[in-house]
Amino acid sequence: MASKTVAKDIITLRGSAAIVSEFFGYAANSILYNRGVYPEESFVKVKKYGLPMLLTQDEGVKSFIANLNSQLSEWLEAGQLQRIVLVIMSKATNEVLERWNFTIETDSEVVEKGVSREKSDKEIMREIQAIMRQIASSITYLPCLDEACVFDVLAYTDKDVAVPFAWIESDPKLIANPQMVKLHSFDTKIHKIDTLVSYKNDDWDEQ
Amino acid sequence: MIVRTPPPKRPRSETMHPDSPSAAGSDRRMVIYEDSPLAAPLHESPQQHSDHLLCTYQCRQMVKSEFLDALSSAEKQVCDYQSRFETMNENFGKVEAERKKFLDQFLYAEQELAAAKGREQALQEQLLKEVNDYQERFRRQIQSQSDLECLHQKNEVEQKLSNFTFQEDSSTDSNILVKHLQEELRNYEAEVREARKLRSSHENIELLKEKLLEEKVRKERAEAELPKLQEFQMSMKKLEDELSSWKLMISEIPGVSCSEDIPVKFAALQKEVIDSTMKVGDANARLKQLEVALDAALSEKQNAETEAALVKEKAAVSKSEVKRIELMLSMVTEERDKLRNLLNEFKKMKNDEAGEEVASGTLVQELESSLAKKEFCIKEMESSLHAQKEVNTRQYEEIKLLNEKLNNEARKIKSLEREGDRLRSEIALLESKLGHGDYSAANTKVLRMVNTLAVDDDAKQTIEALRTELQKTKEKLQAVEELKSQSGDAGTLVDSYISGKITQLKEQIATLEKREERYKTVFADRISVFRRACCELFGFKIVMDEHQRSNGIPVTRFTLQSIYAQSDDEKLEFEYESGNTTILANDYTSQPEISRQVEIFIRKMNSIPAFTANLTVESFNRRTLS
Repeated sequence: MASKTVAKDIITLRGSAAIVSEFFGYAANSILYNRGVYPEESFVKVKKYGLPMLLTQDEGVKSFIANLNSQLSEWLEAGQLQRIVLVIMSKATNEVLERWNFTIETDSEVVEKGVSREKSDKEIMREIQAIMRQIASSITYLPCLDEACVFDVLAYTDKDVAVPFAWIESDPKLIANPQMVKLHSFDTKIHKIDTLVSYKNDDWDEQ
Repeated sequence: MIVRTPPPKRPRSETMHPDSPSAAGSDRRMVIYEDSPLAAPLHESPQQHSDHLLCTYQCRQMVKSEFLDALSSAEKQVCDYQSRFETMNENFGKVEAERKKFLDQFLYAEQELAAAKGREQALQEQLLKEVNDYQERFRRQIQSQSDLECLHQKNEVEQKLSNFTFQEDSSTDSNILVKHLQEELRNYEAEVREARKLRSSHENIELLKEKLLEEKVRKERAEAELPKLQEFQMSMKKLEDELSSWKLMISEIPGVSCSEDIPVKFAALQKEVIDSTMKVGDANARLKQLEVALDAALSEKQNAETEAALVKEKAAVSKSEVKRIELMLSMVTEERDKLRNLLNEFKKMKNDEAGEEVASGTLVQELESSLAKKEFCIKEMESSLHAQKEVNTRQYEEIKLLNEKLNNEARKIKSLEREGDRLRSEIALLESKLGHGDYSAANTKVLRMVNTLAVDDDAKQTIEALRTELQKTKEKLQAVEELKSQSGDAGTLVDSYISGKITQLKEQIATLEKREERYKTVFADRISVFRRACCELFGFKIVMDEHQRSNGIPVTRFTLQSIYAQSDDEKLEFEYESGNTTILANDYTSQPEISRQVEIFIRKMNSIPAFTANLTVESFNRRTLS
């Protein structure tokens, strides 16, 4: 959603925030589909970032992600968001099995002075595409989730951020002794997103 | 931490000195480090010595890296153990709190059950008594009725008999009549008895039905509470199993026999960790010192090598000079010999040809000129040699300076490499922390949305469950209504019987309530008279109220205020529970005089009346004196 001028490459803070929150929405859907948190038949295929992406049709999940994205956009525009973590937990035991970590570095000059930056939309789309491909291929090395799972989203914000309605402070839901895999990152020149997945050591792998 | 891009590889070590050609060509083979290089044979060549030192350095580097790896893994393990221990402690605390909570709940439920049972029993006894009273009254009434009937019949019979006595003339007919009447009377009496029996049996049946209903209700209540009890028992068992598993885990930890030893063990482990880190720090410092010394030794060795090479060069140069000089000398001696031979020949010629003195003079001049030329050449060569020597010394000094610069640069490179390794390890550590999810609480807070899907799912499930229950109850209600409609007359009879019973019971309830009100007013009157009398007789206003302790047990509290009290704060508080009275502490009893009296009369002599009497006398004395 970059603001179009004659050059077609200028990116504003609002545009960058929209790109990042949209990316998170699609990434979350992809993770939920690939990790089998929701059944395959509840997803529908759409075209995005030059790839076939899967979006959930479950109304509850859709509204949850939509509300989440609107709040994330707000925080991104204010430069108050440091990290977003999508946590996958066992439904029975509430044990955290996977953490999809999206670290955000914000250009503070853009937030303070309201300047814009320049970067090709194609370049950004290519970088996001690489990350989406990596998420899809993560099933080759991530352990199987044999039990019913639920997901939750944590937002690491600045300390002075006012807690919005329908949000509460939470523990970071860490995994003890995780295995970590660093994925690609993408940069809008205003927000730089690094992706990392940490998962619980599979007992079978430890043998 | 597994990273997608491995850290950049360090370039091969640049410690290979460019001026050490002998070392450059040697193989860097790995040899086991030997403690005493001085014990090596004296004829060991410099090449092997350099290899030995290099090997020592590499081995030490390997040892150092292994040590550092082991230390980092040990530190990680310690951190893991610490975190696990903290989670275990937290879980243990939570489990303990839950267990206590469940125990309290269980005890409370038991107490409630016992209290409910007691109340039920009391109610049942009361009901039984009332029913028995009613039964007796009813029997008396029936008896009186039957007596009345019998009397009436007797009177009739007697009248008949009296009528019959006027007709004494009739003989057997009247006797038969009398007998008939007597039989009828007996039959009536038998019928009355049977009726009474039927009535009593009917009453018994009704009583039994009521009892059956009560028992059913009690049974349902008990059955309803049974699963709760079972749940409590299950949860208790689970908690006990968890506790035993925690205790087993505690027993597995070496040096820990009970939960109280855990903090001590943890403190000991922390001390060990601190000591080991201090030792590691010392070892690191010593290692660095050794490295610096090693570097200095290497640089000295390199300097020595360069000097040796220079000396060799010098020796070679001097050898070449010597050779050259020898060559020159040989040339000069050859020339001298030639000249000598020439001179001898000349002398011969002189002897032979005296007349050729002029020619000999020119020969001598030519020889002298050639000698002068040679001397001139020699001088030129000497001057060039001198110049060459100066150039060589200048070059040698330049080489020395360059060597020193090279050594400094090599040292700088090594220090930068070490710095780079340290920074890389720090980066790896920070990346692992970042990936793990750690954050600084001073700058960051973690938020999540409340309206999660799990909550929605739970709400949906409860809504569905409630809907199914509602459907079931509706179906039951429909079935009951259908049954009612089907039963028809029997239903109306049952309804009228039930409604009659209900009106009867309502009337009974109304009379009982009126009686209760009357009892209450009478009791209130009597109790106020009693309280006033107690106040007048014993000098204390007594206020009684019921309290409930935190564990749910009801206790009776008495607040006493002396009629001679000089302020409203002078109050004594006592708690009464199952025959035991205990004094409660408050501001008044914590005063030194009162607390002394409490100590003497209540704690030591165990007499509350003596305490209150003494207090009354003292208050009276104070009042009268003031």
